Amino acid sequence: MLPLIRLFALQSIALGSLAFTVAWVTGSGHIYLVAVLTVAIKGALIPWMLIYVMRQIKVEREVEPVVSIPLSLLLCGGLTVVAFYITQPIIFTGGAIDTITKNCLAISIAVVFIGFFTMISRKKAITQIMGLLTMENGLFLAAISVTYGMPLIVELGIFFDILVAVLIMGLFAFRINRTFASVDTTILRRLRD
Amino acid sequence: MILEVAQFLLVLAIAPLVTGIIRKAKALMQSRRGPSVLQPYRDLWKLLCKGSVVSNDASWVFTITPYACIAAVTVAALLVPVVYAGTFGFLGDLIVLIYLLAMMRFFMALAALDTGSAFGGMGSSREMYISSVVEPTMLLSIFAMALVAGTTSLASIAERIASSGLDLISPALFLAAAAFFIATLAENARVPFDNPSTHLELTMIHEAMLLEYSGKQLALMEMASMTKLVIFLAIMSNVFFPWGIATTDDPMAIAVGLAVFLGKLILLALIIALIESSFSKMRLFRLPNLLTVAFILALLAVISFYILGVL
Repeated sequence: MLPLIRLFALQSIALGSLAFTVAWVTGSGHIYLVAVLTVAIKGALIPWMLIYVMRQIKVEREVEPVVSIPLSLLLCGGLTVVAFYITQPIIFTGGAIDTITKNCLAISIAVVFIGFFTMISRKKAITQIMGLLTMENGLFLAAISVTYGMPLIVELGIFFDILVAVLIMGLFAFRINRTFASVDTTILRRLRD
Repeated sequence: MILEVAQFLLVLAIAPLVTGIIRKAKALMQSRRGPSVLQPYRDLWKLLCKGSVVSNDASWVFTITPYACIAAVTVAALLVPVVYAGTFGFLGDLIVLIYLLAMMRFFMALAALDTGSAFGGMGSSREMYISSVVEPTMLLSIFAMALVAGTTSLASIAERIASSGLDLISPALFLAAAAFFIATLAENARVPFDNPSTHLELTMIHEAMLLEYSGKQLALMEMASMTKLVIFLAIMSNVFFPWGIATTDDPMAIAVGLAVFLGKLILLALIIALIESSFSKMRLFRLPNLLTVAFILALLAVISFYILGVL
C-alpha cells in the first residue's frame, strides 16, 4: 500500500518533469504552471492525503489480490504490448510527428491500461483509488505529449476534479472501513435489500 | 586465433579467483577477515587429490555428469567475448550458449535425481522451477541487444556496440541489463534465490544437487559452477556494456581491453557481494514474483527497441 502510494508520487513527479520539458520546448508559459501544479498536487498533496486516510483506518497490507502477482505482471506486460501495437499506425506515420509524442503516446496508453487493470484486479478501496489516479496520469501524459498541453482552464478543471474525487473517495474508504471494519470492496456486494 | 584461445584460457584461469573475490568482499562487509582470494584454487586442488565416493544406487548418469557439465561450460566459454571482440563464432551464437548452459543444468538435475536421495530430488525440482522462468528472461534480454546490434553472434554484438560509441545508450540497454542481472543471480544460485555458501536444507537449490558428489567429481562440478558465473559476468560486461573491449588486435587495445574487463569483473563481483550482504534469501514461493519482474523488464526492452527504433 505505502510503496504503491510512493510509486504514484514518483510517477507524478516524473510526469511533472515531462511537462517542464514540454513547456521548455514549446516556450508556453501556462504549461510551466501546469507542471508545478502536477508536482505539487499529484506528487505531494494527494499522496499525503491518501497516507493520512491509510493511517486513520489502520489498513493492513494488501494481501489478497484477485490475480496473483506474477500473473498480473505478465498481464501488464501484455497490456503494454497491446498499447504499443494499437498506437503503431500513429507512431510510424513518419516525419509529421515529434519525438516526445512518438515516445510518450504508447506509454500513456499503457499507463491507462495498467491503471485500469489495477482498479479491476484489486479488492481494497485504496488500491482501487490508486488505479484511478494512475489512469488519470496516463490521460494527462497523453494530453501533454500529443497536444502539448490543453488550455489552462481545462487543466485546472481536471486538477480540481481529481482533488475532489480523491477527497470523496478517501471519505468513502473511511466510511466503508467504519461500517465493515475493512476496506475490502467485495463485501459491498452483500448490500441487498 | 591465438587471441581467442588466450581469452578462453583466461576465463578458465580466472573463474575460481572471481568466486574468491566475492567471498572475500562478503567477509569484509560482514566484519570478518575471510579466507584469501586464492582459497578456491586451494579447495579445487585439495578435492582433485582426493578419491571419490559414489553411492551404490548411482548409475552411469551420475558418473558422466561432471564431465558433461564441465564440457558444456567450457564450450560456452569459447563463445563469449572477453577481452577481444572475437570468438569461435562459427561454433554458434547466443542461442547455442544459452542452451549449452541449459544442458549443464539438465545433467545436474538428472544426476541429483539419480542417487535417489530426497535432497537431490528436491534440489532438482526447485532448480527446474526457477529455470523455467529464467531461461526466457536470459534469451529475451540478450535478444534485445542482438536486435540493437542486428546480429545474434555475441562477439559481433560486443564489437558493434563498442564501436558505435556512446549513442547506443538507450532505455532498452538498461532494461535488458537489469533483467539479465536478475537472471545472473538466479542462475548462479546467488542470495535472493539461494545461498551459495551453506548446505542448509532451507536454502538448498544448487548445493542440493551437488550434495552426493565428492573428490574429483566435486572439483569438476565446482569448477563448472565458478566458470558459469564468470561467463555470465562476461556477458553482462561485454554484451550490455562493451565499451573498452578490444576491437582490433594491436597490443595496446588488448591491454586496455584486459584492464577494462578486469575492472568490470571486479565491480560486478563487488555488486554481487553487496547484494548478498544486504538482502536475505527470499522464500521459495516468492521467487516467481522477482523472476517475472525480470522477464517483464526483458520484454519491455525488446518492445522499446521496436518502438524507439534503431538509435
